[in-house]
Amino acid sequence: MAFWPIALLIAGLGLVAWLAARAKAAAFARAPQRRAHSLPSYHGWYVALWAAIPALLFLLAWTNLSAGLIRQTVLASPEAAALPDFGLRRQAILGEARGLARGDIEQAFQPQARQLAPVYVDAIRFYSLIGLGVAALIGFAGGGWAYTRVAPAFRARTRVERTVMATLLLASLVAVLTTIGIILSLVVEAARFFAAVSPAEFLFGLNWSPQTAIRADQAGSSGAFGAIPLFWGTIFIGAIIAMLVAIPLGLMSAIYLTEYARPVVRRWMKPILEILAGVPTVVYGYFAALTVAPAVRDFGLMLGLPASSESALAAGLVMGIMIIPFVSSMADDSIAAVPQAMRDGSLAMGATTSETIRKVLVPAALPGVVGGVLLAVSRAIGETMIVVMAAGLAANLTLNPFESVTTVTTQIVMLLTGDQEFDSPKTLAAFALGLVLFLVTLALNIIALRVVKKYREAYE
Amino acid sequence: MSDVARTARPPTDWNAAPMQRRIRRRYAAERRFRLLGLAALLLSAGFLVFLLATVATNGLSGFSWMFLTGSDATEPARVGIWGALKGSLLTMAVTFALAFPIGVLTAIYLEEYAPRNRWTDMIEVSINNLAAVPSIIFGLLGLAVFLNFMHLPRSAPLVGGITLALMTMPVIVIAGRNAVKAVPPSIRDAALGVGASRIQVVFHHVLPLALPGILTGTIVGMARALGETAPLLMIGMRAFIASPPGGISDPATVLPVQIFLWSDEASRGFVEKTSAAIVVLLVFLLAMNGIAIYLRNKFERRW
Repeated sequence: MAFWPIALLIAGLGLVAWLAARAKAAAFARAPQRRAHSLPSYHGWYVALWAAIPALLFLLAWTNLSAGLIRQTVLASPEAAALPDFGLRRQAILGEARGLARGDIEQAFQPQARQLAPVYVDAIRFYSLIGLGVAALIGFAGGGWAYTRVAPAFRARTRVERTVMATLLLASLVAVLTTIGIILSLVVEAARFFAAVSPAEFLFGLNWSPQTAIRADQAGSSGAFGAIPLFWGTIFIGAIIAMLVAIPLGLMSAIYLTEYARPVVRRWMKPILEILAGVPTVVYGYFAALTVAPAVRDFGLMLGLPASSESALAAGLVMGIMIIPFVSSMADDSIAAVPQAMRDGSLAMGATTSETIRKVLVPAALPGVVGGVLLAVSRAIGETMIVVMAAGLAANLTLNPFESVTTVTTQIVMLLTGDQEFDSPKTLAAFALGLVLFLVTLALNIIALRVVKKYREAYE
Repeated sequence: MSDVARTARPPTDWNAAPMQRRIRRRYAAERRFRLLGLAALLLSAGFLVFLLATVATNGLSGFSWMFLTGSDATEPARVGIWGALKGSLLTMAVTFALAFPIGVLTAIYLEEYAPRNRWTDMIEVSINNLAAVPSIIFGLLGLAVFLNFMHLPRSAPLVGGITLALMTMPVIVIAGRNAVKAVPPSIRDAALGVGASRIQVVFHHVLPLALPGILTGTIVGMARALGETAPLLMIGMRAFIASPPGGISDPATVLPVQIFLWSDEASRGFVEKTSAAIVVLLVFLLAMNGIAIYLRNKFERRW
């Protein structure tokens, strides 16, 4: 008897309560002498809520509580006396016995687990029955009490609507809780990291090699956590190379679409550019690693430069392609928002369309375009899969785009996807990097929105 | 008249050779600019075509009955996509079950009932920020809170779904608010006028009219969640899983992560399987976006 069957039973109880209360309310609603305050279905909802919600809350609490109780019962049983006193073995036996009892696993390796399994089955059944009984009791009590209140003068609708409002408020709290959760989890783990590594070394150090050695006497056992090469790699790929691709292409596409293209072309090309934004980043990453990176390496070798197969250029180029639609749609919006009078004035003075665009529209739309570019940069530096698959792991400080650089997001993935204990500075470093990434993207977004907003006000 | 006389400058002769040259130069610049714009547009669209063509030519040979029904394996000839697809479907089910109700209720609250105060501002600011937070940060949140603090099962669609739901919810809220805002006030006034309560106004009249817009935004958000990889790597959905998951708490992997894992394999045979998996993923995404566009065109109403 697990959580879900009982929850289903409670829902059934709620349905019965709804039907019963509505029938009772419908009976007096038909009576002509006195009009009821609420419609019958509101009475139904009122009773159903009272029948279901307290019982469900109890069930939730009980599921969490009973796990501990079941464990205690099992440990108190005579079969458990033979268990080893402490340590991993005891945990393993208990875990296996529980798995056997719940049907999660079919075979146990430890003979003691097989002995304990029936005890577990009994305990689980016992506490489930208690849970079922109490939940049913609470459900019937709540529903019954609410049912007695159903009367023509009873304001069932007000009560139900108050519950709905509370639900709405609760739902909107989830966003705030998520934000708090993100900030707390990043700050707490980063603080633990900074207890081991000084923030100055992290922010200004030039050497990044987080591979802490297994034995203390190995060379470089402490690991180095200077994140400057990571920051440089992130900026090099996300803010320089990608933007060199995305700004000209995105801006020119937007200009062509808004000022030159016929409506038919516009209607077809805009969704196509939007598809470019909808392609999953893992697909871009695969494309970068499989097709673009070898071509870029060959090109670099042809130029006689030291070139790696995981180059900054390959990742940056593909990231730029991914960013094109963002730049173009932001530029599109801000060019379209320039008042028609400015366009007409320039054309009336005899300027050609391209002169109007270059001398009037783009300068007027510039704040919006800059805001869009800032948003695009914030997206590019937070982008993960392309750089994980196409950029390298070597933390180089280099200006050569054919060489391998690494980024903040790549390192977060690498630090957290190995098999290591959670408390080492190596894994905690990922949270420190995450905190930096979060703060930088947040700042970029806030600045971008300010710029865009200020510009909108200028023309309204 | 006297001004012209005083400057004593002859009127511009538009037919003179220097002026003609100048005009020709300006028109040439105009044409160059226009071509540049067209080139940028075609280049951007060309990238998309090139990407799709590369994936399709590599991937179409990778399809077989076994590929569509199997799960991950060590040999490229025996791998299948069904395990990852089922993982994706389970994850999306969890995401939808959480993000849709919470997102719609939040949108309704903010747009229809929320009083203008600091508290409401805080909710709005956090939603707008969440929509812009890099996805990998949600992965860090999932790892720190759901796995290490709440001890939910690792690699499970349950945790992946919750994490993606937190990411998708702001998208649904923003789309939902716009859809609710687009319903004209006269509808609300009419309903209030015949005696509906404020809750009845919203749930009987505004919400049904806003639903197509909300659904469009939801589908777009779900499509984004379906293609998301990085946060799921953080919560351990990158394990080698040789059988399809049975439920939302079983270890599983999802389509994009499976693509990532196969792309790392050295064996040549995985190239075609990876591309085939990408084709499957893109078909799903295009279908979802197609439905969203259809809904928008069919139900969009100008009031």
